[in-house]
Amino acid sequence: MTAASTPGATPAQAARINTRVLVMGLVIVVPLIAILVLNLGRDPHTVRSPLVGRPAPAFSLVPIGGGDPVSLESLRGRPVVINFWATWCVPCFQEHAALAAAARGLRDVRFLGVVYEDEEVRTQAFLQQRESAYPSLMDPEGKTAIAYGVFGVPETFFIDRAGRIVEKYVGPLERSTISELVARARSGGP
Amino acid sequence: MVPILGRTLILLALLIASAGALVGFVTGARPSGVGWTWTRRLAYAFAALMALANLTMEYALLTHDFSVSYVAHVGSRSVPTWVSIVSLWSSLEGSILFWGLVMGAYIAVATWQNRDKHPEYMPYAVGVWLACGAFFSFLLAGPAQPFATVLNPQADGPGPNALLQNHYLMVIHPPFLYSGYVGMTIPFGLACAALLVGRLGHDFIRPLRDMLLLPWIFLTVAIVLGGWWAYEVLGWGGYWAWDPVENASFLPWLTATAALHSALLVERKAVLKGWTVTLVIATYLLTILGTFMTRSGVFNSVHSFTQSAIGPTILVFLAAALLFTVVLLTLRVDTLAAEGRLETGPSRDVMFLVQNLLFVLFTFTVLLGTVFPLVVEAVRGVQMSVGRPYFDKMALPIGVALLFVMGVGPALPWGRATKEQLRGALLPPLIGAAVLAAAGLALGVRSPWTLVALFFGGFTAQVTLSEILLPVRQRMRSHGEGVLDAFLEAQRRGRRRLGAYIVHAGAMIVIVAIGVSSTMGTSKEIQLREGETTTVGAYTLTFVKAEAISEPHRQSARAQMDISRNGRSLGTLYPSMNQYESQREPIGTPAVRTSLTEDLYLSIHNIDTDTGSVGLLVLVNPMVSWIWIATAVMALGGLVALVPAWRREPAAVQARAPAASTPPEGAPG
Amino acid sequence: MNAVALALLLALAAPPQRGASATGIGAPRGPPLSGAALDARTQEIGELLRCPVCQGLSVADSPSTMARNMKAQVREKLAAGYEQEQILSDFESSYGEFVRLQPTMRGVNWLVWFGPLAVLLGGGGIVAWALKRSRRDAGPGDATQTDPAARAHSDPPSRGALPDDPRLAAAVRRVRQLAYGWPDGVPPRAS
Repeated sequence: MTAASTPGATPAQAARINTRVLVMGLVIVVPLIAILVLNLGRDPHTVRSPLVGRPAPAFSLVPIGGGDPVSLESLRGRPVVINFWATWCVPCFQEHAALAAAARGLRDVRFLGVVYEDEEVRTQAFLQQRESAYPSLMDPEGKTAIAYGVFGVPETFFIDRAGRIVEKYVGPLERSTISELVARARSGGP
Repeated sequence: MVPILGRTLILLALLIASAGALVGFVTGARPSGVGWTWTRRLAYAFAALMALANLTMEYALLTHDFSVSYVAHVGSRSVPTWVSIVSLWSSLEGSILFWGLVMGAYIAVATWQNRDKHPEYMPYAVGVWLACGAFFSFLLAGPAQPFATVLNPQADGPGPNALLQNHYLMVIHPPFLYSGYVGMTIPFGLACAALLVGRLGHDFIRPLRDMLLLPWIFLTVAIVLGGWWAYEVLGWGGYWAWDPVENASFLPWLTATAALHSALLVERKAVLKGWTVTLVIATYLLTILGTFMTRSGVFNSVHSFTQSAIGPTILVFLAAALLFTVVLLTLRVDTLAAEGRLETGPSRDVMFLVQNLLFVLFTFTVLLGTVFPLVVEAVRGVQMSVGRPYFDKMALPIGVALLFVMGVGPALPWGRATKEQLRGALLPPLIGAAVLAAAGLALGVRSPWTLVALFFGGFTAQVTLSEILLPVRQRMRSHGEGVLDAFLEAQRRGRRRLGAYIVHAGAMIVIVAIGVSSTMGTSKEIQLREGETTTVGAYTLTFVKAEAISEPHRQSARAQMDISRNGRSLGTLYPSMNQYESQREPIGTPAVRTSLTEDLYLSIHNIDTDTGSVGLLVLVNPMVSWIWIATAVMALGGLVALVPAWRREPAAVQARAPAASTPPEGAPG
Repeated sequence: MNAVALALLLALAAPPQRGASATGIGAPRGPPLSGAALDARTQEIGELLRCPVCQGLSVADSPSTMARNMKAQVREKLAAGYEQEQILSDFESSYGEFVRLQPTMRGVNWLVWFGPLAVLLGGGGIVAWALKRSRRDAGPGDATQTDPAARAHSDPPSRGALPDDPRLAAAVRRVRQLAYGWPDGVPPRAS
């Protein structure tokens, strides 16, 4: 608030600087602009996974079509690639061939698919149409997807021999990316 | 041809607005008749160019001209005509074009209204308006170009977002929102003019108040329309989720409401001029921040757009506007010295200050919460959320405090008051407070905050009613007029006061209704097969059947639900799930049975027409319709307060002044 | 559904395959819930969790499959006796702090909780200081109250004081008539 003055005073001609206003203004404006500028270019929708560098959550899931449950512990000692997918997911089609080829080529790595929010019948039909080089597991009630912090499909987790998650990749994979991330999983860390 | 025409119009608008801003500022510094004439002409030209550009786009949309980039983006031959028309504002670039239209219209009207008034202020004001217009033209000419030429136009387009085709509210909400949002440019220009001139005279505060009130009315309605849309369309059963985009529209409303109140003190007592001007400018800056939040893709929100050059461009304008404001205020705010004095003891004057403090607190809290995830990411490198639980916790005590101030403020007299006056003002409304709280208790309200809200609400209701009736009673007593005549005459003489109290009444009902609907509802999630029945509260619902409906743009599965209460049939509701081709997840349309007391709300979670089963969310929400009705009351109050703005009564005063020269009855008593 | 039936159901429902388990939230620390209390707490905790596939909706409000699965997990854990913080930490270990809709008190987060309070106190202080300064500027004692000219200048008259000039007085009365609804600008007899 400004000091009261006699009514009808003519406006000040000299540029008086109201330091209080200046300081308060800058205190509000500068941090606000700084925060907005710093965050430009960051996509708020890609959330970084807290699981990278931590042990992969354990699970024991039945493959599509039945059979013995596959557990993560049983795969310790080998690098593991877990790919969450669904038949209604278009980018999943795109990466399916790359993943199948990688699974055939990289024999020491265990590839697994986990079905996300889909029906067993539809996944079976899908896999019958396209050859599958590795088993896909059913995830009832999405418990494994939740434990892995899955936001959508496709998401792929690369796990090293000790069972630690080395990287979480969001989006359809290409052969080169798979090789690169598998190499990281083999060496056990970034 | 159309793309070239559109681009030319926009480029011309940019040139005209830039020229007009320059001429306006020069005329403000060095007043001249020619300068003012040209400033006005350029302002009208800008408005006309914007209107033509929008008409061109509508033409392109309606003729499905896919060589225009925006039409290729949102146009479609398979949507109804109204959707084609509405597509103008349904997506990013088109909505900025629409912004330009509304801005042009406001500038033209405000310039014409003041064409021969306030000559020292107006050129500056128009200069500021056209500078803002120039920025938006620049956006349209560059990063947000809607008229780019598509070299190999497709035969058909994807149509606007499916969510937007779901409900007719999409037709009304954006125009109202823009009329509110964009309209804040006008008082911004007037406030800057006051600072530049170095005076905020009594003659100029009136147009500032009026041109703040008009967009305020639109913005109030738009915010609540947004809530209504979320309630009726999104299906989660609530009307406000504190999404960044919702907050973006709410923030300027808060500062505008504070400004309306402090502007009243400026007019009455010639105090708080600098503060009011700051609030008005803050309102405009918050609209720019809001548009940045909505369009930049920086915020995680319902409205998110992909990253583009638009975000940084708006940010540059925002930064420039903020720095311009700080410099302008630093150098000029002292020229807006107070001429009067505020009462410092318990009085209405002080309550105005408390109200302003609460609104500024509310603004700060909502802004902090919205921006905070960005702060944390910058400082801790962690992504976190600030969601509904936080905002609800913060808004609750502030809302109740505002309800308190809305009651106690108008109850207190202006200026210093004696203890008897205070007692006489504050004790009687306690009756209303007790009545409403008791009614709430009787109807089952147990939540402490809701009871407090009812108590303050009853107090406010009684105060507001007695303030509205005060001049009526006085006229009846002194003139012997009947109630109706007294009321008509009182409203003729004090329309702004009456309008303000009507707005208060509406606001009180909104706050109380929000409190009751948030704490007194019932909910149930149930899975039903065809023929099965369930009870929720006093309602009995029977799931009759699930049917599939095929429409050209979507497939729907809807559930026929028969509703009855206490044995009496209440009809049938049809909640549905709509599958649009372009979306993976289907979009549900809830079915709501609205009544004055409560809403019965049905939302489908899953439905299978083959097996005849449905998963439903059933909500009984009390008093929700009161929120919508009370908002209409607020808008009505605002309109009532605006009406005198366009009436002139100077002749009456001059004619009577010489005649009434009898000695005044002035004995202080 | 009483506690026994629920426990039996959970035992029977234990599937031969095990979904992924929580990483290290330990043993349940509270009593198992059931019935209306279970429903109510599921809803409350659901409102504190962010649905990962929605735009800002809570798990309690979202109809999506993911949200319903998460809500079912919350319900299971509550029925097993886990407490709110354990459940929230469990989801946080999978999704990050992002999944909590209500900020915790870590690091700089305290700012969002205490910032508004600071503004309230600070703003209140500014208002109080401004009022005090205004009172001081008015001069010692109650000069402005007893001096009718000064009162007429700054406060709306509650006593009907008028300026001496008759034309001005008539205008003032007209103004009062318009502003306060006083007939002929004369204040009504005290009520």
